[in-house]
Amino acid sequence: MRKISTLLAVVFSLMIGYSVQAQTDDISPERKQAIDSLALEKVRDLSKYVSIIGNKSTPWSEANRVIDRAEELFMAGAEMGVSSLVGPEVKYYNVRQYFERLMRLNYDRVEIEWFKIEYVSDLQRQPDGTYVGVITIFQKFSAYDKEGGLVYEDTTKKDITVYVKRKETQIGGRIIGFWDVLLGDIRVKETSK
Amino acid sequence: MMTKQSLLQTIKKFTLVLMIALVSLGGATGCKSKKKLAQEQAAAEYASKVESAKKDLNSILDGTTSWSLAEKEQRFQTIKSWNLEDTDVQALLDKVEDKLARERADAERKTEEERLRKEEEARLKSETSKYDGIENYFKAIAASPDQATANEKIAGAKQLFATPDVPVLIIISQAGGFNDYDRPTTISKYLDYLKDQKVYNNRVQQVKYDTNNRITELELIKK
Repeated sequence: MRKISTLLAVVFSLMIGYSVQAQTDDISPERKQAIDSLALEKVRDLSKYVSIIGNKSTPWSEANRVIDRAEELFMAGAEMGVSSLVGPEVKYYNVRQYFERLMRLNYDRVEIEWFKIEYVSDLQRQPDGTYVGVITIFQKFSAYDKEGGLVYEDTTKKDITVYVKRKETQIGGRIIGFWDVLLGDIRVKETSK
Repeated sequence: MMTKQSLLQTIKKFTLVLMIALVSLGGATGCKSKKKLAQEQAAAEYASKVESAKKDLNSILDGTTSWSLAEKEQRFQTIKSWNLEDTDVQALLDKVEDKLARERADAERKTEEERLRKEEEARLKSETSKYDGIENYFKAIAASPDQATANEKIAGAKQLFATPDVPVLIIISQAGGFNDYDRPTTISKYLDYLKDQKVYNNRVQQVKYDTNNRITELELIKK
């Protein structure tokens, strides 16, 4: 009797294991598309956060709250590349540091707009189950003085590495399987006028 | 020698016999041609029916007719009732019967699908209207022209929830009987998210309440 119970337990565990594995290994094109869209949406969310943080009319407390939200989009230790038309050097900052610098930029008005947000490398499944892809964006940065005159403007192409991993959490007594999208380093590819 | 009078009598009799013979012969010939005519007419009618049956059955098979399914079925029954003994017509009738059975099954399946779709639509509509209060807050926050208005709406929306940490789950896809979610968040963060992003592109899927009728869990689904 005990042997039968053990055998049933093993078979049941294998079935459960297969089911969980099937949920992550063989994802249908529809599910993959949903994940692709989710990652793109996170980048668009970041684009809006960058714009709010950089906006001089955003109250300090509000900008700090948005920095917290923006930081949550990134993996721990992720860096953001910063370039300028003044020199060829690209500086890399921890994302929190980058947002705080962005908030304190010494201009009277700043406009930051991200456009052409698209995949340059599709999400590909890695051996550990994480999906990794690269999304490219173009950032137009415009800074103005007190009189409203444009004092600096550039357009930078940046590549954002995106990591998507299936995770589980317990909410209200049930297990929720979710796709956790985290942004990695944001690398400067080119800067132009 | 025959007298003149008896000769006349004989001629009269002969004429009468001749007339009777002629009339009899003529009547028989007329009857025979009428029968033949009727036979020819029947044959032509049969041939015309066969021709018409073949034409209509082929049109139904090729799908070149503009008749509705009911009209096609009616035409099929009419042709079948003619009991034509033409082998081509019989073969066509068999094929058309199969085709119409398939079309009928297809039409019934479509009708059932349409009925289910309408039922689902009605269900979604009633579900949506059930959550109109929450939905309207979300839409109003996303559409707020300024921060003060958004914050005012957020304060109002929070009254519907048991705590600011009520979990918010967002379904990104549904397949194979299970849901894929985005990273879970809280209602407080979600309301701020609507204010920051100025977009509400989800729909309320499920709501859990406590005994005070305050929301304790919210499930949204991407539109």
